[in-house]
Amino acid sequence: MSLDTVLGSIFTVAFIATIIRISTPLILPALGGLISELAGVINIALEGLMLVAAFLGVVVGAYSAQWFPGWPGWVYPWLGALAGILVSLVLAWLLAFVHLELGADIILAALAINILAQGGTVFVMFALTGDKGSTSTLASPALPNIVIPFVNRIPVLGVLFNAENMTGYNIMTYAALVLTVLVWFVLYRMPFGAHLRAVGENPEAAASVGINVRRVQYTAILLSGLLAALGGLNLSMGYLTIFQANMTAGRGFIALAAVYLGNRNPIGTVIAAVIFGAATALGAQMGTLNVPPQYIEMIPPFVTIAALVIYNLRRQAQLAANARKFQDKLEQEHGAG
Amino acid sequence: MTLSQKQKQYLMEFFRILAVILIALALGFLITLLVSEEPVQAFKELLTGPLPKISWTEAGLKIRGINRFGNWLEDSITLILVGLAVAVVFRAKQFSLGAEGQIYLGALAAGIISLHTSAPAFIHITLALLAAAGAGFVWGLIPGILKAYVNADEIVSTLMLNVIAVQIYRLLLIQWLRNPDYGYIATDFFPETAVLPLVIPGTRVTIALFLTIIAVVATWFLMTRTPLGYEIRVVGDNLKFARYGGINTRRVIALSMAVSGILAGLAGAHLSMGILKQLTLNISFGIGFEGIVVALLARNDPKAVPLAGLFYGYLRTGAQIMERSSDVTREVVLIIQAIIIILITAERVLPLIQQWRMRRKLPQELSADHSEAAHVA
Amino acid sequence: MPPFVEMRDIVKIYPNGVVANRGVHFSVEKGEIHALVGENGAGKTTLMKILYGMEHPTAGQIFLEGRPVRIQNPHQAIDLGIGMVHQNFMLIPSFTIAQNIVLGQEPRRGRFIDFEAAARLTTELSQTYGLQVDPQARVEATPVGMRQRVEILKTLYRGANLLILDEPTAVLTPQETADLFRAVRRLVAEGKTVIFITHKLVEVKQIADRVTVMRHGEVTGEALRTADVSEADIAQLMVGRKVLFRIEKPPQQRGPAVAQVRDLSYISETGRPLLREVSFNVYAGEILGIAGVEGNGQTELAEVLSGLKPPTTGQALVNGRPVLGKGPRQVRQAGVAHIPEDRLTNGVALDASIADNLVVDRYFRPPFTRRGVMYPRLIRRHARDLMHRFDIRAASEESPVKSLSGGNMQKVIVAREFSSEPALLIAAQPTRGIDIGAAEFVRQQLVQKRNEGKAVLLISADLAEVMSLADRIAVMFKGRIVGIFQNGPDITEEELGLYMLGLKQQSPDEIETLQ
Repeated sequence: MSLDTVLGSIFTVAFIATIIRISTPLILPALGGLISELAGVINIALEGLMLVAAFLGVVVGAYSAQWFPGWPGWVYPWLGALAGILVSLVLAWLLAFVHLELGADIILAALAINILAQGGTVFVMFALTGDKGSTSTLASPALPNIVIPFVNRIPVLGVLFNAENMTGYNIMTYAALVLTVLVWFVLYRMPFGAHLRAVGENPEAAASVGINVRRVQYTAILLSGLLAALGGLNLSMGYLTIFQANMTAGRGFIALAAVYLGNRNPIGTVIAAVIFGAATALGAQMGTLNVPPQYIEMIPPFVTIAALVIYNLRRQAQLAANARKFQDKLEQEHGAG
Repeated sequence: MTLSQKQKQYLMEFFRILAVILIALALGFLITLLVSEEPVQAFKELLTGPLPKISWTEAGLKIRGINRFGNWLEDSITLILVGLAVAVVFRAKQFSLGAEGQIYLGALAAGIISLHTSAPAFIHITLALLAAAGAGFVWGLIPGILKAYVNADEIVSTLMLNVIAVQIYRLLLIQWLRNPDYGYIATDFFPETAVLPLVIPGTRVTIALFLTIIAVVATWFLMTRTPLGYEIRVVGDNLKFARYGGINTRRVIALSMAVSGILAGLAGAHLSMGILKQLTLNISFGIGFEGIVVALLARNDPKAVPLAGLFYGYLRTGAQIMERSSDVTREVVLIIQAIIIILITAERVLPLIQQWRMRRKLPQELSADHSEAAHVA
Repeated sequence: MPPFVEMRDIVKIYPNGVVANRGVHFSVEKGEIHALVGENGAGKTTLMKILYGMEHPTAGQIFLEGRPVRIQNPHQAIDLGIGMVHQNFMLIPSFTIAQNIVLGQEPRRGRFIDFEAAARLTTELSQTYGLQVDPQARVEATPVGMRQRVEILKTLYRGANLLILDEPTAVLTPQETADLFRAVRRLVAEGKTVIFITHKLVEVKQIADRVTVMRHGEVTGEALRTADVSEADIAQLMVGRKVLFRIEKPPQQRGPAVAQVRDLSYISETGRPLLREVSFNVYAGEILGIAGVEGNGQTELAEVLSGLKPPTTGQALVNGRPVLGKGPRQVRQAGVAHIPEDRLTNGVALDASIADNLVVDRYFRPPFTRRGVMYPRLIRRHARDLMHRFDIRAASEESPVKSLSGGNMQKVIVAREFSSEPALLIAAQPTRGIDIGAAEFVRQQLVQKRNEGKAVLLISADLAEVMSLADRIAVMFKGRIVGIFQNGPDITEEELGLYMLGLKQQSPDEIETLQ
């Protein structure tokens, strides 16, 4: 394929649709990571939480058809989603409990959760299906897509609003959209959000005005579990309709990177997640151009490190500038006195 | 015989960790009960599988299962090297999670030397090992310098560098090193001059075994018998005190991560030059993170790492055998591992007695100083 | 009518036996400005923390308008109408001033914070009490004076009738101080009651109606009308105590200047000048004592001289070698040893063994390290030797330092610093918070160093200690040396007290001749 065709395919609406689909399972956990980060409890268990939710969504969705025969078909995937969310919340609670009550280091405890998720999903999958790779033997349910009516006839808008095949985006894409706005409002317009940010910035001050620091941090970790779960469900019941072992493939960590690259605010975080999504989509296109996709895969981590370095260098420069300013002031005083 | 205070401490720590392991195994067994038709058989395989079966027959002494025993040692070698790597950085209180990336680049560097140079075996192997160590060193030094001089959080930077390392590995493997005639992505097998010589026939236990013993001694020596080791320990115990004492804390932080990288890089060389004898798309399967549990079990003490590595390697090998001969997958070990990490790091659970004893002696004075500090503030 | 607040027979003994309040009686009338003064460690902050529910008294009672109350935590204090403005502000830097003021009790419109109402309430409060703030400004971008007004408004927003201000002027410029005083008078005019903790006597006369003086956990002047007492009287009550100990000192054999410090200035990262053109010499065979109320630059002086903080301007030579701006290692190599003020943070590694703690400045040198190899056996032997010489009581040299008592912990530091054979020894608050026996031991060691012909710079908030040990005494006030004296029978605590409180100052020429 020539460069022209690749460029042509990039500057199309279909490409935008691809980015939207790829970004969804990054945006949701990134919002979760943001909430816990702002509350002063970094959550690197997003990866594992996504994984368990993705797994249980598929399994419970598939089995509920056997358990509750005769129920309307659309209910089953939602039962699965509910189970996925619940198990993610349980693990998030476990993380919060061992950190806040038992004094466990939150990084190590989160790593343990990730390992538990990685092992636990394969372990249970094998026990249920006899397969360690994927749930291909299960009749996998999917969460519905949402099709925007009437726009399909319009050339560009049809693809933009309803994706390439006019089949619409997964409901989790819309959830991501709504939740971005919602998270912003909660964080910046509601008392709970103010308390959460206060706890993250100066817990002592927050406690001094009667905010229950521990409760806020519990809630933040649970919320991040909820959002990570939605991201995981999107992966296995929307983006794909199957669970594969370790299918999150580092998305939880990339989501966390988006939080830092996005300067720890919802809008920035979502933009960063979309940039990472675009990089992946671009990688897929570049593959056809014989540009190795590995180059593209390196972009998100590289950009994140660069952002981390630039942020810290700027702070150092600022401190140095302050020091110079004071020194000048002192010398002036000295000269005058 | 009376025990010194230090020995008593060690002993208490040992029993504490033993208790954690037993609890984790018990919970693992409970979970197995839920899914398995033959849980007892499965757990018996898990716990005895790696041992060779020795029996007397009319034909004389007969040893079966030597390859299982070999698997145990092979895996333990990787775990011990990575465990040492993690123990060094954690001792400096740096949360580097970069072992995974260092393993990949160590394997890659060893692979490139193996495939693209030729020399007599001794020199070839030495060069490849040095390349692996160097790659790990550099990949540890980068986040080390970023932390020490720019104050860039090492958790984020090492996780990101892991992704970059794996992509560099794949890029070079796919674009350059692979043999396109194979049906899967892999390089040629390494020339004989670059494959680590076998030590136990019938296994893949190579001279990496001796290298690992040397690495343990060297790390122990580094941490207890060199100024850098002292500096790493002091920086880990109290960064401000280290600075007050005149230690160049930035240099120590950067070096602790780089030295750790050497060990992880060597683990990568063991995987490529000893186990696989070629480079394949996946080599580590997350073993860089498993090193954390080894270091935790060893309480970051290099002397204790071999024991922890052998224990955890035993568990992993037993799990593989269990998977082959029962209806339980080896992932049960990951669950046990997670429980171990949580129980060891959940400080307030097990050492309650210890803490209670300390509380009676120490914090009263601490609180006195705090109250004074409050006056000053 | 009963007093507005009355604290009766308050005793506070910390678990380690330190007595902070010994039967204190304290009462405040409604609508007055009541100053609470005393040196650091006199127990005034403890007393106020008890009133605010942050500490619990060992014995004693609190009455609010005659009713006995129990105040378990700050929350209850707030409910009772008590508000406290701490020295280190409890603010969220990225929030606006209005948001900070309403934090935890936000006005709402439905489920959302009503920012307009928050800003309006802030403006109203600020106008009512004459505390000017910009409701929309982010705290991180506002000067210290405004932050303090925010803290005061925060307590008013929560309905405080009694405001406790803990050394509110310590961080303010004179202009800001004047503004604060105006606001405090306004508060009182609006019916509030104010307790004003300070150790600046000028302010007491300026702002307070009555003053209670504390010393050593006791009240030495109870609720005196400020109109009836002079600053000198108050100073007398604050510092006038008997010297409790005398150290035998042979006559001084003064040698050449070991340390020469010239025009040393230091400005903190936040732009506060903490040292201003400090100049002095320390001679061989002398103890130069730095006296002063804490927070007047002594901490920074020790930290800058020992290489922990970079100086802003100035020079310092030790044995002719420049040491300013060098790292701690080079400063130590120039012959400086340092007993740090904050020993738990800087002086020891709690989890490390005594042996390891004793070599942090010398582990890299022979005999501990030869050709890159360290010899733990020699480090342990060195530790046993020092433990014996300095009478450090511990189970073994391998015990972690955290298992030691405060006095023994300090002896570990003293043993290390003294045994490094320094030319100049900087000892910052060397006997603070340790038992009498250990304190006596440390003092004797200091004198012995002096007798051996070393130069000792002793920084202590304990005036009696400085007076009994030092050959010369320099007094610091607001980052400057305001007086320097040859110690002798004609130097009285009262006289030094006047310098320490900024009431007297020598002329620059006088200081120069004695430096």
